[in-house]
Amino acid sequence: MSDNQLIHSFELGRKSFFRSRLFSLVVVIGLLAHNPAMAAPETARETIVRAILTTDNGQKRAIIGSLAGQGDEAIRELFTAWRQDSLFVYLAPDGTKIPVELTDDKDANGAQAAIRVDNGEPLKDAAGQPLRLVGTKLVAVEHDAKLRHTMRSIVDLLDLGSPLLAKRLRAIQTVGFTQKPDNLPVLQARSQIETDAEAKLALREAIALIQLADPSDTIKLKALDELRELHSSSSYDVIKTAQAKAVASAKPEVAAAAGAALAAIDHHKSVVKFFGTLFRGLSAGSILLVVALGLAITFGLMGVINMAHGEMITVGAYATYITQNVFGEGMNFTLPFVRIAIHLPGLHLTGWAYQLYFLAAIPIGFLSAALVGIALERSVIRFLYRRPLESLLATFGVSLILQQLFKLTFGSNNVNVDSPIYLSSNWTFFDITFDWSRIFVIGFAVVIVFGVWLALTKTPLGLLIRCVMQNRTMAACMGVRTERVNMLTFGLGSGLAGLAGVFVTQLGTVGPSMGQEYIVDSFMTVVVGGVGSIFGTVVSALGIGLADQSIQQILLNPVLGKILVLIAIILFLQWRPTGLFSARSRSLD
Amino acid sequence: MSSPDTGRFFRSRHMEFAVVGVFLALLTVIFPVLNAHGLLSDYMISLWGKYLCYALLALSVDLLWGYTGLLSLGQALFFSLGGYMFGMYLMLLIGPLGSYAKAGQNPAGLPDFMVFLGHTFLPPFWRPFHSFGFAVMMVFALPGLLALVFGFLAFRSRIKGVYFSILTQALTYGAMLLFFQNDFTMGGNNGFTDFKFILGHSLVDKIAGPATMRGLFMVTSVVVLLVSLGCYWLNGTKFGLVRQAIRDGENRVLFSGYATANYKLFVFVAAAIIAAVGGALFVPQAGIINPDQMTPEKSIEAVVWVAVGGRGTLIGPIIGAIGINALRSWATHAYPDSWLIILGALFLGVVLFLPGGVVSLPPKLMELWRRYRKSPDRS
Repeated sequence: MSDNQLIHSFELGRKSFFRSRLFSLVVVIGLLAHNPAMAAPETARETIVRAILTTDNGQKRAIIGSLAGQGDEAIRELFTAWRQDSLFVYLAPDGTKIPVELTDDKDANGAQAAIRVDNGEPLKDAAGQPLRLVGTKLVAVEHDAKLRHTMRSIVDLLDLGSPLLAKRLRAIQTVGFTQKPDNLPVLQARSQIETDAEAKLALREAIALIQLADPSDTIKLKALDELRELHSSSSYDVIKTAQAKAVASAKPEVAAAAGAALAAIDHHKSVVKFFGTLFRGLSAGSILLVVALGLAITFGLMGVINMAHGEMITVGAYATYITQNVFGEGMNFTLPFVRIAIHLPGLHLTGWAYQLYFLAAIPIGFLSAALVGIALERSVIRFLYRRPLESLLATFGVSLILQQLFKLTFGSNNVNVDSPIYLSSNWTFFDITFDWSRIFVIGFAVVIVFGVWLALTKTPLGLLIRCVMQNRTMAACMGVRTERVNMLTFGLGSGLAGLAGVFVTQLGTVGPSMGQEYIVDSFMTVVVGGVGSIFGTVVSALGIGLADQSIQQILLNPVLGKILVLIAIILFLQWRPTGLFSARSRSLD
Repeated sequence: MSSPDTGRFFRSRHMEFAVVGVFLALLTVIFPVLNAHGLLSDYMISLWGKYLCYALLALSVDLLWGYTGLLSLGQALFFSLGGYMFGMYLMLLIGPLGSYAKAGQNPAGLPDFMVFLGHTFLPPFWRPFHSFGFAVMMVFALPGLLALVFGFLAFRSRIKGVYFSILTQALTYGAMLLFFQNDFTMGGNNGFTDFKFILGHSLVDKIAGPATMRGLFMVTSVVVLLVSLGCYWLNGTKFGLVRQAIRDGENRVLFSGYATANYKLFVFVAAAIIAAVGGALFVPQAGIINPDQMTPEKSIEAVVWVAVGGRGTLIGPIIGAIGINALRSWATHAYPDSWLIILGALFLGVVLFLPGGVVSLPPKLMELWRRYRKSPDRS
């Protein structure tokens, strides 16, 4: 509590000195408060007690008014009780008046539990037992229309002092937009003690908005200056109205200042939009990259047209779904055709342990998709290495079969995958919203691109993969077990698709046909980047992602943007038919 | 790219065409006669009419893939474009019989979906479609033009093989997204439906409807016959031989001094128009056209009809299109959950075990039989 209030309470206490012995105590506290070591600041509850025991209505309003800007939730609760006539004054056996709140249901005698207003504790008798009181036998605390009005305005300002930042910010904005000059002192008092930088900015804006409604031109100009400096887009409309008024009342300098403020906001908006688009484009490109990287290996390096690549993504996504359920309540499903019911027991984890399911799903998604991929390679694709166009047809058949199997196992509706806490919030910096999930995808894309690069260039397997992909027959002649390398390479590509599946659960829907959404884009990304070049895939994914987001911003129509990107890609391939970075070769086909 | 060695059932291509011709001619006459005498249901007529439209789509794929070695995944797009062009004419014929017009809420005589979307006047590019002649011309012109532009760009920069497939797939995908848009005034995801008339003949009337359907069936059957004739004739010309040489070794043909891009472009445009005609005939018989018909999956399915029937033959696509669609009609009722799995398994089975398609099966079996007869432990 500030010194002002203490002095205030001291004066009030002195005036009502003879009315109640309680006030002598307040006076003592007020006097003692000048010594900081002994300061026991009056709580909101105690202030309300004082207000209740004051008889003069004007005094009452003044005491209650002193609560403005405090964030104690007890104020809201007690004022509600006051207005609903549940506050009473209990006359203790020793003669002191104790204001109480009667709560809970009435028992057979009509008695209710009594809570002391001054500290929120149950009222006890001399023996320390909680007292139950009958409301009709007590003196009810009165209230009139003026008092109720004062209380309401205090409650309106209550959130200004809330310890929760989000609540406080909302309250500051609300107060600012009402543009009521009465609230100005409260805001100014608040800005004296506010420590949070964001709330401080919001207070400056709210104060400036209220000052903008001031009749004086100098104050208006100062407010507009402040708003121009703050360039907050939320005050745009208010400034616009002020500008229109200034023009109507022929005040050119105010209108000019408003115009300058609007221009500053516009500029700020376009900067924010640019960086927002850049961020969204990067994250869209990263998703594309994560999705297409597996294809860059199976299609780019191995030359297999795997139309079931999308279904590998779905495998990863469903693996995430199953992991989530195993961490939670467990799940039941029936394998189609063979009709084997499977029950996966749940670990019944809660809190942080449950939230970790997503991290566990990352290796599980990779491994399950890699296993499905290896099975596919062994059963179908190894017969088709010399017939790429027919691998397209066969794997499309596989894709249809897998989609139908997903549908029969998990149902044709989309399933729900929760966002773990660490991915579901966002971070606003300079008015640009950064979703954690998107930041995570960008970081993850960097990690797996680096990982794939390491695996391909720095490991013995990578060496074998590269040599088999360059010339299968020659590698076999040199004693490389090409069959095994093919299998592992395809497994790696499919596993990467599974990883992509784990991540798209956070960004899109999870259903039996979800893989189809990504398949055309993935192929385009690999073709544009240059078949066989991982680096090309990285560049083209980021390029396509950025182009897609920028065109969307301009056209405000995602589908049209997508169509334009497709046309741009077709035209791009006119210029570079083999993509951005293609392997140089003198061979004809 | 080399074609798989397809054991041929027919010794000569003349024999093959004779069989196809007789089959189609009989179909043209017998089905309508049976239907007129109540021996074949109206449903079967429209069903087989659709099969024949799909046969046209399959022939267009075969022309590209079977004979020229271009695996286009965009034939369903040309099929649908033809369907949409003709569908626009049929939509404008509904006029006062539409549900909004009946309720007196459609003074401009717009198609129902436009009224629903709040249009008050016909978009200018719709206006000429009041004319049957213009609509038929557009069935040829629009898909042909698109194929010409796209093919020119693709073949000029020597995009081939897998890249050509992926690009045509992307083209189809983009067009599908476009047609799903309501603002595109092509009916959005509902497409065109609820047709009433074609050239003054009712499509829905209890008595006149089946007769119109018979007529459409006969027209479709004759068109399939004519396209088959055209393919048969083309295969005998020098052009047809160069085209097959492109399939088997494009670089050699290129080095022999042939402008392969022009050959491919001609075939691509011709195939697009054949598919579009199939689509245009499909719309009045199926009674609906919507963007679901132009998904990349539909294109791949058409390729599978050809693969199953036997690519590089005349009869194969027709057998494949009719056979698989008949199988679909049966299986989607009998085993609705398993149909996609059956179709997928068919893809796999044909590619892995029967690269020449069904047509290559009889010679293979005969060969086995001959070996069995000659095997030493039997005598």
